[in-house]
Amino acid sequence: MASFTASSVSISSAFCSFNQTQGSNLRKASVSFSGKSFPSQRLSLPRFRVSCAAKPETVNKVVEIVKKQLALPDDRPVAGDSKFQVLGADSLDTVEIVMGLEEEFGICVEEESAQSITTVQEAADLIEELLEKK
Amino acid sequence: MALKLSITPMKMPNFPGFQLSSHRVSMSSTIHSPSVDAGKVKKPFGPREVRVQVTHPLPPEKREIFNSLQDWAEENILVLLKPVEKCWQPNDFLPDPSSEGFEEEVRELRKRTKDLPDDYFVVLVGDMITEEALPTYQTMLNTLDGVRDETGASLTPWAIWTRAWTAEENRHGDLLNKYLYLSGRVDMRQIEKTIQYLIGSGMDPGTDKNPYLGFIYTSFQERATFVSHGNTARLAKEHGDLKLAQICGIIAADEKRHETAYTKIVEKLFEVDPDGTVLALADMMRKKISMPAHLMCDGADDNLFEHFSSVAQRLGVYTAKDYADILEFLVARWEVEKMTGLSGEGRKAQDYVCGLPPRIRKLEERAQARAKKSAPVPFSWIHGREVML
Repeated sequence: MASFTASSVSISSAFCSFNQTQGSNLRKASVSFSGKSFPSQRLSLPRFRVSCAAKPETVNKVVEIVKKQLALPDDRPVAGDSKFQVLGADSLDTVEIVMGLEEEFGICVEEESAQSITTVQEAADLIEELLEKK
Repeated sequence: MALKLSITPMKMPNFPGFQLSSHRVSMSSTIHSPSVDAGKVKKPFGPREVRVQVTHPLPPEKREIFNSLQDWAEENILVLLKPVEKCWQPNDFLPDPSSEGFEEEVRELRKRTKDLPDDYFVVLVGDMITEEALPTYQTMLNTLDGVRDETGASLTPWAIWTRAWTAEENRHGDLLNKYLYLSGRVDMRQIEKTIQYLIGSGMDPGTDKNPYLGFIYTSFQERATFVSHGNTARLAKEHGDLKLAQICGIIAADEKRHETAYTKIVEKLFEVDPDGTVLALADMMRKKISMPAHLMCDGADDNLFEHFSSVAQRLGVYTAKDYADILEFLVARWEVEKMTGLSGEGRKAQDYVCGLPPRIRKLEERAQARAKKSAPVPFSWIHGREVML
């Protein structure tokens, strides 16, 4: 079972079986699922978007594109939780990374979404979400 | 993805389509302007810079460079000032109130301006407001270590330049103000309010008391205003107001001369301290050249600057492409590509700066391709009439 940090968490109905309560604010709390189903009446969940972690292939592709954009050596460790800014990306780099991802995956990223991407994982998750919608 | 780059020309328009928020917050997206209800202004002095402002004094060895360049400045920079007796004055381009034909000239002026389109006025007004915020720019020059006017009447060539430059620029705002006033096509009170807010807000271009950064910034800005006024001149001519075309043209000519002066200073800095100067150039470009008027506020539109920039972009008065072109021009002017003997950091800076214009252009192309059509927006400067962005 995955544990979710709820900064961007979208419910995948195939995975979790509880009803989401519509609310206007994202509550920031980390939620971990232990596999039990929980009765929805006990949870007053604000609207969550729980995304399952992206496939490793997607994450690897993102890592590749990031490394290329930032001219990082091959042996430099870059993983899902790597933050763009920490890797040395300025805002122009981040935009170009997103552009590179758009080209690579054939998706279109809205500005608001693009601005919320700060880590490799977030990029990979967003990509899969957009691919799913296609 | 719509990208918005906030760039500033002296008066540079921010081009829509381009927004890179750097470690320095992009003001156009974070401005908290006073609310529309004039009775409940939350921030009576207008928008403020959100960025944390930290400054560092210039190291003594760098200060010494500017001391040692005083004679050079006197011989090479002060000569680019025009003697006052040879300068044009606003009165030369306006109806002369002390002449018999004054009223007729005013009628003619109003006939000419009657048919200028609203979107053109929005851009002209924005430019005029920027010019009128001159106190901010003189202040900015006097924040710079090594070249500031220590007494207000200092006789160092740097101080003489700053005061004389300010005096020349002062005529720009005066001329545009009077022309717009006489035209009757704009809401002067709203414009005057915007100017008051803008001077009150000031601006921090990130020059950090550093004349390297300061003169790089002004080089960029002067060229940007030259481009901008050149375009408003061209458009005025197209719309049949030859007098206004002449006005914008004469202002553009001043800006060109100022650009020559500032780029000459930076050229000298590249000669005397190549590594330091290329690092400064990269630093300024990473911070992005911010618009002097990015904090503009009229008490009516929360996104005034953004809207104004959009119109300037659409009319081709000042665009993202211009930003890239100006950077490319300066890189060539200062022969940055040819520099050798730089430190490791210096080489990185050189690569960054030389590689930047095409990256900006690519971003702008994508932004243009994705640009969504938006509804026309009212501008208080033109009595609330609407203009397409």
